[in-house]
Formats: sequence, structure tokens, C-alpha cells
Amino acid sequence: MGRIKKKGTAGQAKNFITRTQAVRKLQISLPDFRKLCIWKGIYPREPRSKKKASKSSSASTTFYYTKDIQYLLHEPLLQKFREQKALEKKISKALGRGDAHDASRLERNASRPEKTGRTKYTLDHVIRERYPTFIDALRDLDDCLSMLFLFANLPSTDTVPAKMIARCERLCLEFEHYLIMSNSLRKSFLSIKGIYYQATIQGQDILWLVPYRFNQRVTGDVDFRIMGTFVEFYQTLLGFVNFRLYTSVGLVYPPKFDKNRDDQGAELGAFSLEGNGVGAIEQPKPITNGENSKPDPKLQAEIDKLMAQLNQPEKEAEQELPTSQTLVDGDEEQPTDTIDKFEPAAPGGDILLQPSYSATDPSTLFSNFTFFLSRETPRQPLEFILKAFGCKRIGWDAVLGDGAYTHNELDPSITHQVVDRPPIQIDPEAVEQVEDNQTAQKLSPGSRVPGRIYIQPQWIWDSVNDEELKRPDLYGPGAQLPPHLSPFVKKVRGQYDPSAPLNEQEREDEELEADSDMEEDISGEDDMAVQEPKFLTAMEVDATAEGMDIAGSEDDESEDADVVDNEDDDFGGFSDVEDEDEDEAADSALQRQRELEAELTGVALEEKVANPKADAKKKAAKRAKEEDEELERAKMMMSRKKRKILEKMVYSNKKKDGEAEALRAKRRKIEKSGKGAPRA
Amino acid sequence: MAPSAIDRKRKSVPAEHNEASESDVESEAEFGDGLLEGILSQSESEDSDEESDAEEDSDEEELDLDALEALDSDEIPSEDGGSEAEEPIGSLVKSNGTKNAVVALREKPLPDEDEDKPNYTITTDANGGERYVYEEIDPVYDSDDSDAPITTNTIGDIPLSFYDSYPHIGYDINGKKIMRPAKGEALDALLDSIDIPKGWTGLTDPATGKPLNLSQDELEILRRIQTNEMPEDGYDPYPATVEYFTGIEEIMPLSAAPEPKRRFLPSKHEAKRVMKIVRAIRQGRIMPYRPPEERQEEEEETHYDIWQDEVPRPDHIMNIPAPKIAPPGYDLSYNPPPEYLPTKAEKQAWETADPEDREKEYLPTSYGSLRKVPGYEKFINERFERSLDLYLAPRVRKNRLNIDPASLLPKLPRPEELKPFPTVCSTLFRGHEGRVRSLAIDPSGIWLASGGDDGTVRVWELLTGRQIWSAKIGDDEGVNVVRWRPGRDAVILSAAAGEDVYLLVPPIVDPEMDAASRELLDKGFGHATNATQALTANGARKEPVAKWTRPGSRLEDEGVLIKITLRTTVKVISWHRRGDFFSTVSPTAQKSAVAIHTLSKHLTQIPFRRLPGIAQTVQFHPSRPLFFVATQRTIRSYDLQKQELVKIIQPGARWISSFDIHPGGDNLIVGSYDRRLLWHDLDLSTRPYKTMRFHQKAIRAVKYHKGGFPLFADASDDGSLQIFHGKVVSDMMENAQIVPVKVLKGHKVKSNLGVLDIDWHPREPWCVSAGADGTCRLWC
Repeated sequence: MGRIKKKGTAGQAKNFITRTQAVRKLQISLPDFRKLCIWKGIYPREPRSKKKASKSSSASTTFYYTKDIQYLLHEPLLQKFREQKALEKKISKALGRGDAHDASRLERNASRPEKTGRTKYTLDHVIRERYPTFIDALRDLDDCLSMLFLFANLPSTDTVPAKMIARCERLCLEFEHYLIMSNSLRKSFLSIKGIYYQATIQGQDILWLVPYRFNQRVTGDVDFRIMGTFVEFYQTLLGFVNFRLYTSVGLVYPPKFDKNRDDQGAELGAFSLEGNGVGAIEQPKPITNGENSKPDPKLQAEIDKLMAQLNQPEKEAEQELPTSQTLVDGDEEQPTDTIDKFEPAAPGGDILLQPSYSATDPSTLFSNFTFFLSRETPRQPLEFILKAFGCKRIGWDAVLGDGAYTHNELDPSITHQVVDRPPIQIDPEAVEQVEDNQTAQKLSPGSRVPGRIYIQPQWIWDSVNDEELKRPDLYGPGAQLPPHLSPFVKKVRGQYDPSAPLNEQEREDEELEADSDMEEDISGEDDMAVQEPKFLTAMEVDATAEGMDIAGSEDDESEDADVVDNEDDDFGGFSDVEDEDEDEAADSALQRQRELEAELTGVALEEKVANPKADAKKKAAKRAKEEDEELERAKMMMSRKKRKILEKMVYSNKKKDGEAEALRAKRRKIEKSGKGAPRA
Repeated sequence: MAPSAIDRKRKSVPAEHNEASESDVESEAEFGDGLLEGILSQSESEDSDEESDAEEDSDEEELDLDALEALDSDEIPSEDGGSEAEEPIGSLVKSNGTKNAVVALREKPLPDEDEDKPNYTITTDANGGERYVYEEIDPVYDSDDSDAPITTNTIGDIPLSFYDSYPHIGYDINGKKIMRPAKGEALDALLDSIDIPKGWTGLTDPATGKPLNLSQDELEILRRIQTNEMPEDGYDPYPATVEYFTGIEEIMPLSAAPEPKRRFLPSKHEAKRVMKIVRAIRQGRIMPYRPPEERQEEEEETHYDIWQDEVPRPDHIMNIPAPKIAPPGYDLSYNPPPEYLPTKAEKQAWETADPEDREKEYLPTSYGSLRKVPGYEKFINERFERSLDLYLAPRVRKNRLNIDPASLLPKLPRPEELKPFPTVCSTLFRGHEGRVRSLAIDPSGIWLASGGDDGTVRVWELLTGRQIWSAKIGDDEGVNVVRWRPGRDAVILSAAAGEDVYLLVPPIVDPEMDAASRELLDKGFGHATNATQALTANGARKEPVAKWTRPGSRLEDEGVLIKITLRTTVKVISWHRRGDFFSTVSPTAQKSAVAIHTLSKHLTQIPFRRLPGIAQTVQFHPSRPLFFVATQRTIRSYDLQKQELVKIIQPGARWISSFDIHPGGDNLIVGSYDRRLLWHDLDLSTRPYKTMRFHQKAIRAVKYHKGGFPLFADASDDGSLQIFHGKVVSDMMENAQIVPVKVLKGHKVKSNLGVLDIDWHPREPWCVSAGADGTCRLWC
């Protein structure tokens, strides 16, 4: 016989350690432990049996792997924490003695990251440990970027030092510069939370969220110390990632940063990239000079007149735009070597993975255009996304900051103008006035410069996501925009797809059902009110009122039969073909009985109108019932555990289907009412 | 009395009275308190009686006291300290007698009334003698006389009464007699004649004996004292400090030395130090102002390729990477398709719901234009939650079953393949008033017998539903059970109503069969009369368990031939396959719950004297001589030949309602009031092989099909019957296959009772059911 095993020496009892035990083992404070866990990527685990893992009687909530904590014991940062703690003690001691000089001398040694944004330690080794390869780091970049972009947009407070914000902003802009240089931005999405971007770097999809440029609402329940710890780590990580990315495309890191331009709001423009040994990479210079920065005044006058005409009766600015589009279309190169898109012609087939359909290389999508951003548009995301998709020349209103290709709205090289304001009714007098002030650089509101396309910002996003230029007439100023769809949703069969036509994704008889439902909704009350001597089929009896006595002039026998029939349906058991046959037989018998009665009374029997809809409904109901019975029967024979699993799965599937169906129903309603926006 | 004088006396005593002390040693005991008291009382009384006139007496007394004092100290001659310890008593004694007088004299001008009262009481002591008990002495401040006032009279601290007999009252510092001032009536008369002098107080200065006059200044002092001021006139308690060294410049300086030159020259030392700093500043060693940021500025961050020599390292097997945030869906768009927008009701539901209960933390909104999109106010919160999740949330791998749920369903044979089984109600048997308690199809399969709460037994034609015959056997009790006798040789129906079991031959068959049946029943009467009655120990005839009698002519005419009267209500009848034995169960009976009757001998036996629990139902094994008895919890099988317990089957149900044995004999179904239907394989285990719980209410009856179809059915209080396909395979290795095939609904539930009994047709796959709604139904 082997030795009796002692309890608590092996297995779960040994593999798990509670948080309190871990903190005591490491001999650090809880905040320091938290920091270590965040940096080293150590997270709690869920033991299979909490009771076995915990040694105390009270229920511990957090468990860590003992091995993880042991691994923390050798962490050099731990020593740094201890040194810092000792220094803090010295300072407080000096202050207690009233030795201000000594305290200040010691204070100088202490790192105050919350003030300076800098620490005595570096997290380089941690990054190397957590991400042994560069790909690993890229894989984990989602949270990093989301967090840093958020902090780049935060106001500085005492918990969030300005230094930290500045550094975040720099790192983010540097990363954006890389994306622009390497054209690796793939998709972007304007959501209610912010703007989602997706980039693909070395085969890794990185998705991050950038808030809109508003003052962020900070509530009291947010602990910025925790966020700060994350940011500290992410800053280091993104620094190394940026270095690696820059060097991989032959650029010098860090790029030169012009503080003056940054102060003037240049943002992306404050950086000047340098190639390795090549020197600064040239930024596009304005092609046009100052003198021909104004369009032909005559043409302008004509356009203005046209605009006034168009705006007055009905806002049909779109009518004008296709003409200008043709202008652009002329110099747009037609893609020839495109891969054909395989669109499913009928539902039911499997969806094959297609090679990515890139009619236009992302680097050339906007490369031939010159954009001008009106002052109401968000400059930063537009600038970034346009540049990332190949646009070299972006001008904007001087209000939006420095770094523009041009600040002159009338620059004739501008091909697209991004506007986001509603069209303004212009009365002709005002137009006249504008003509008088032709010399002014600013255009009057609502007037348009000839030879350029006016679009809303969504045009850019939709074009980027579909990798093709969208029809600009749908995105004209003031137009009701087509819905902006998320490019991240993977199409799953059976789920609702708003871009596909409705009839493609409906179930076979869904519309039928919905129609009848609606009809019932409408006519249901009428049926109740009018006491027509209507001949009810057995099924209808079943559907409307169970066991209800049928009011009518039938004699007892037929009533009896009816009751029997009715009860027949009430069994609700497993019906089968025979059952159905009986139903039908009963039906026909009933019919004959009625005919006989009619003969007797001498009243012409109204022909039973064969209602195809009702038939279909009946059949569907029958089938559903049958299936239901079958399922119920099978479920009876399952073990309880399996049945629970099945029920859960059925529940979740049903929920999903229900959601999709609800969406389809809504859309059907909208389409019927004809109120929907055009779909791209 | 002055203490100094006493001391002096004490010191002198040992020398003077040495002999006396020696002689008095014997009478030590007699000396002491008694004598002392006597002395004290004497002096006291004299004091109080005649203070002023008995001058000499008091003098003598004084002497006596002195002597006594000496004697006192002599008592313990060796101990000086001891005598000293006794001193307080002595002094107290003295103060009792004499000092009071002094105090009185000094403080009170007229102490007489006070002195008149004796300060002691006389009681009898233990020996019967007088005992003086003195009042407690109040040790007031004045009792201490250590600080004597400085007086001009030099007599010391002795009572002035000592001088009462003299014209003088003492001596002044020069030894001259201070004469007693005039007083008395003569003086009063004189005073009356004289004007009251200025400052007259009416008091006598005890030191001088002269009337005490107060001057104006003294009055002023008194007033100051009374008002808590300093008594001295013009006294300043807080005088301005007079500085020792004043700031007042002296006209003549103390030193005549001239001012040194260094006071007019700049300090060289200081210049040196300044120059040192200046030089340091010039050299840049000291910065006049150094901004703190500059220090950090110099620490430029270093950039290098951390992944220069990267080596792929497989993830640790237990590492679970953090899940990525789900990408945004269509409904998160700032301009979503209109079908994603919530309706008014949905919106309201979302707003009223608790933030934790919401399915989505946002409400899809269409802003129409990008410029109208506001900031997302929960942005920071969501990011914070995400960071919390990253480091605080335990990560667990969860295997999501991504399979078609249909694949989990067991593959059951289709009901069509399992046909035939009853599916519809083909015949309805109406006629019973009240519940139909029991029914049975006769072995030929033509008739259906039923018995109900109305006390009738009815026989119906099975296929048509026509009632052929009926007999009322229970007068006020319902018929609890009807059963046909198995076998085709006779048509005998047994029915139980109350305590009586009836054997009937319904007049529905051809006369030969009828006659055969009647003969079979009557045959036993001979046996019964021949049989010797069991006698009890005292010879009295033992009360038989059951009485086999004729039921009376009325019933006999109807076809009811035999009435067996038992002790309690019979609930169950179960026939042996050969038709000679049948067993009845009357659950309320204590000992005779289960009875086995022999038809051919009209004999009733009680096989069990005692049963564990209330007997519910019994069954004979279809082929072997086994007898199954179901109590509330268990089913026991007994071997009738060997008369022993074979097996205890434990279905695990709380209350067994009924059970049936498969015609093969190896399987058993049990129905229970706790809604369970249990299949037992007797070869496998005593525990159920399958438990089925498909009824909402209690199961009343279960039955196997006995005619070759692998079917069984149960009847429940929820008004439904469930038909199962239960195939028993002859192969031992294979388990029985049980498939539910049909739920038959039709009986109405009345007062919580649905279907009460069920029976199968002996050959066809039909079954009949008895409902609480007063109908029987044939299902085929």
C-alpha cells in the first residue's frame, strides 16, 4: 500500500493561489501587484472547483496560478517597486524631521510618473517577454491602439499628466503615418461610439476605435490609475512597434517633429518622415500658383445661377452633379484586370471564399483627387483616411488648422469638396451680392465652385469599405444618405443582411405568413363582430376556439360529429398521415352533409372557394405540428443533460432567427410604406 | 496647653519618678482608661459646671493632668516612641477639657450657653458601672494651635481664664502686669454715659483685652479684602517691567574706545564667498535657475528593435489570450438601415430597463449626417471596463457547441414503422353516472365490462359501444374494480364494491357457456361445507377471513352468483392465469390486506401476516409461480411454492399506484402517483432501467399489451394516455427499446381526476380507458 496522500499538497489546492496569498507572497502592496499583473499579462483563473482550490473557509473570489505568481517573484520590476517604496519612506521621514532640503534632494531622485509622465524603470524586458515575436505584438495591438487614441484625446488632469497625453498623441500620429506610408488601412466605420479603423499589417487584422473629437465625459467610477498603468505599458509597446514598422519600410524612427507646426494644429503635418539615408520625403507642393487660384468668373456666375434655380423649387441638387461626375469620370482610369465577383444567383448554395476583390488598389483609390474639407467636417479622421487611401492633396479651411495642401476653397485643382451642411435657400438678390464680392476668397454659403464634386463625408467611408468609388449623387449635400453599413460584419447564412434584397433571404413562406398576419390583424375584429353562418373547417375550429360549440342550425348528430372531430384535433398527440386523411374525410363528409341539408331546405349552397392562401397556411401549420411532435417524441428519449443542451441551443438559435425575422419584418414594412432611404 | 511644656515635662519625668514607676508596675492594669475617664469626666464636669469661679480647682487639675501624663509615659518606659504615639490621645483629652474653653474665650464673647451642655452621655458599661460616652470631636482648623498670634501679652497659649482670679491678665514683654480692663455693670453704666467713640466695634481685642476699634484705613482694608482686592492701597499686581538694560542712551558712554575700522570696511570674507559663487556661476557650475523639466528632457527615450533576434515561442498551453472586442455591427452605425432603429416601444423598454438588464448598452440611433453625431458619453467607461476585464476577469475556455441541434436528437424509428398502435378514439361508452372506476375487456375480446361510482357493473359491446347488461351491486358504494376471469372455458366477471367481491355471470353468452360458468362457480360450495373450520385455541370457531355466500335472489336473477364478504374495502382484484385463483387487495386492512381466493374451493387465505407498508396492488407472474405485491415504495416478489421472498424491486417512486408484468415475465412497468413511469428489467437490476416523466399529473394505471404487440400504455390524472412502443428483445445482451409513440387525449379532467383505468384488447392493438368524466373510450 502506498503512502496516504496528504490533503492540499497536489492538484488544484496546489495549482491555485488566491490574490491575498499572492500579494503576501510577493510582499508588495495591492496597487503594485495590480501593476505587475497588468504589465506581465497575468490574469486570474477559474479553478474547476473553487472549494478545492481555496484553503480558507470563506469563499475567495480571485485565483491565480501559483506558477504565474512564482514567475513574478523573479521580476526585476519588483525590486524597483521596493526601491521606490524605500525612497518614499525616506522622503516622508525627512519631511517629518522638518528637513526640507533633504526631502527635496530625495524628491529629486524619486520618479513621479503622474507628474512627469516618466518612470525610473523601463518595461522593455516585459514587452520582449510577453511578445516573443513581432507578430505576437501586432496581434495584441487592438486594445493598445484604442487606449492610446482615447488618451490622446483626453484633457490633462492631475491623474492624466499632459506629458502622457502628448506622448500618446505622438505615438498615435506616428502610427497613422506608417499606415499612410504603407497603405495598410483597410476598412473604417463611422459608428455612434466613434470611428472604427481596421488595418492589416503583416497579415494581422488590427481593429481599433477612435473617439470623436469631443470632450470626453469622465465619471467618478473610472480609476485613471489603472488606465494609466495600461497606458504606460501600451506606450512602450507602441514605441517599439512603431520603430519596427518604420524601419521595415525604410524610414527613420522617430520622425522629425515640428513643435511649432503642432502648436498650430497641424497634427499629422507636424511630422516629417525621413528615409534611411535618403532624407526627407517630399510632401506634395501646391501645383497651382496664387494667380489662377480663382475659377473663371463667368463659369462661376453660371453655376451660381443654376444653383439658385435648383435650390428654389425643390432640393434636387443631385441633378446637377452627374454632369460634374462625368467630368471626373473622364480622367479616371478604367480597371481592366479585375477579378469577377461571384454573386450567388439563388439562395441555398454554399458561400465560397473569394479572392479579395480589389478593383482599385487601396493606395490609388483617391490618388488622383484633390480634396477640400469644409470647415464643418471632422478634419483629422478625413485627413487620415484620405491619405491612407492614396490622396496626396488635401486642403481645408484655415479654421481647421495648419498642414493643409491649400486653405483656398477656390483652388481650381480641387476635384472633391467634402461638405456636411444642409443646402441653404439662396434668394437671387443674395446671389447678386455674391457676384459683387467675387474678389473675396470665401464663397458665399450654398454656392458652388464649378468643376468639382460635392460630397458628404460618408461617401469617403463607403468608397473605402467597398473599395470602389461610390456614386456621388447619392451623397450630395443635404441628400438623404444611404445607410452606412459596418464592413466588419461577416455574412452568415440565415442571418439578416441589410445589403441584400429582402426576398433573397426570406424563408419560403415568410411573406405569406406576414401578409396573412397583417390581414388577420385587420380583419380579425370584423370576423368577431359579424356573425356570419360561416362554414368552419376543422382546422379553423382548431385555430380559433378550442372546444367551442358551433352555433348554427345543424342537427345534433352533425354537432356530435363535429365535437368528436374537434376533440380529435385536441389530442395534440402525434398526428400522422392517417390522421390527416381522416381529417379530410371528415371534411368531405361534412361537405356532403351540408349539401344534403341545402337540398332539403332548398337554399343554394355557396360554393366553397378554394383559398390557396388558406390552404398553404393550413399545410404549413400541419407540417409544423408534425415536426413539433416528432421533436417532442425524440426529446422524451434524451437524457436530461443532453436535453438541456439541446434546449439551450434551440433557444439561442430561435433567438437569433427571431431577431433576423423581426428585422426582416421591419424592413418589409418600411419598403411597403416606401419611406426607406435608397440602398447603395 | 503648650506642647513645648509637655515635652519638657516628659523628658524630666523618667529621671524624677523612676521609683514611682517601678512601684506602679503591678497596678498597671488598674490604671488606664477607667481612671482616665474618671479624671476626664471630673475635669469636664467641673469645666462645664463652674468655669469662671473654680480657679484653683482647675489649677490642681492641671497638675493632676501633668502627673497623669507622666504616669502614662511611665507605663511603657523603654519605648520612647510608644509614648509619643500616645500623645495624640493625650492632647485630645486635653483639648476636650481645656482647649474648648480657650477657643470659646478667644472667639466667642459669650460662650456660656454652649458650655452649659455636657458633651457626653452616661451609659452602663459591661460591668454595670457608669460609662461616659463622649461626642465625636470635630477636628476643625482651629483645633490646631500651632500658629499662635503674636500678642503683646506674653503669657503664652494658655486660657485667659487662668487669670480670672487675678486683677491682671498677663504680662507684657517687659514683665509688667497687664491689668484687666474694666468691665461689668459699672462699666456699662459708665459706657452708657459716655459717647460711642469713633470706630467702635463692640468687640474686645483678645490680645489686648481692650475694645477693638477700627480706623477708617482699617475699614478700607476690610472692604478691599471683601471685594477680593489687594488689601494694600495702591498696590499694582502687574507692574510694567523695568528692563535691566534700558534703551535709554546714556549721556556718557561707558566705553570711550573709538569705533573699529572694520565697521566701516566691506567684509573680505564675505567678498570671498560671493566671489566663489560668482566664479561658480561664471563657470556654469551653479545655475541661477534650472527648470525641473530640463532634467527630464535630457533623458531621451531610446529606440531600438526589440525583436531583432526574435525566436518564435509557442504559447504556454494554459495561456488563454484575451478575447478581442467584437467588431461593430450594423446597428452601431451612425446612419444604420432603418430596420435597425428601435420602435417607440423598444426604445421605451430600453430606457426603463436597468442598465444591467439591457441587452445592448447603446440604443441604435440614426443621426442622418456626420456633423450631428455627438460624442459617445460612455466611451471612457467602456474602455475602463475593458481594462478591468483584461486584468481582473478570470479567463475560462468555453467550448461552444457549434453543431446543429438536430444532431443531438436520438434517432428514433418513425411512428409509422412502429405501427400499429391506437391513435384515435373510435367508440365512446356513455352511461355511467359519475366516475368510471375500472374496466376490463373479456378474454374473447368482444365485451367490455366497467364499474363506476354509481355502483353498477355494465357490460358493453366493445365495437359498437352498446350497453348489453348492467347490474347494480353496490348499494351506496361504487364499484372499485371489475376483472374478467381469464380463460375461454367460462365467462365470469369479478367485481368489488365496498367490502364485497362479487362473481358474476352476465347473461350475454350462449346458454352452454352460461351453464358452464355457473357450474364452475357453484362447484366450490360443496368444498366449503365439507371443509373443517379452523378452531382457535379455546375451541371456539374462528372468524373466517371471508364469507362466501349467495348475494340474494334479486341479484342472483341478474346473474350475480357469489358474494365474498371481506373485512375491509377491496380495491384491487388480480386473477391467476389459470382462473382458479384470484387475489384481492384491501389497502386499509392491517393484516388481511392481501387475500388469495380459490374459486374451486370457495376458500380464502391470507398469505401475509404483516407487510412493510400499505399494500397497493398485486399481480401473479404470467408463467411462473411468482406473486408480486406492491407496497407504497417497493414491489416484492414471492415464490408461492417455496413460500419465500425472491426479490425486492425498488422503483424509487414515492407512491406506487400500479404496475404490470410483461407477458414475457422479465420486465415490469410501474406507475406512480409522483408522475413517474418506470421500466424495470428484472434481470438487470432492482432499480429502474428507464424512468419516464411525461405526465403533468399522477399516473393511475399502467398496462402491457398481452396479445403480442410490443405496446404499453399509462393513464394519468391529466386526462391523457400515453402509448409507448416497448420492444423486449429475446437476446439477453440487448436492452429493451422504448419509444413513445402517441399521446391520447380526450377524457376530461373532473375534480382533478382524469383517466382512472386502462386495458388492452387481448388481440388487437386497441385499448380502452375509463375516465372520471363518466365515459369509457376505445382507442384504435
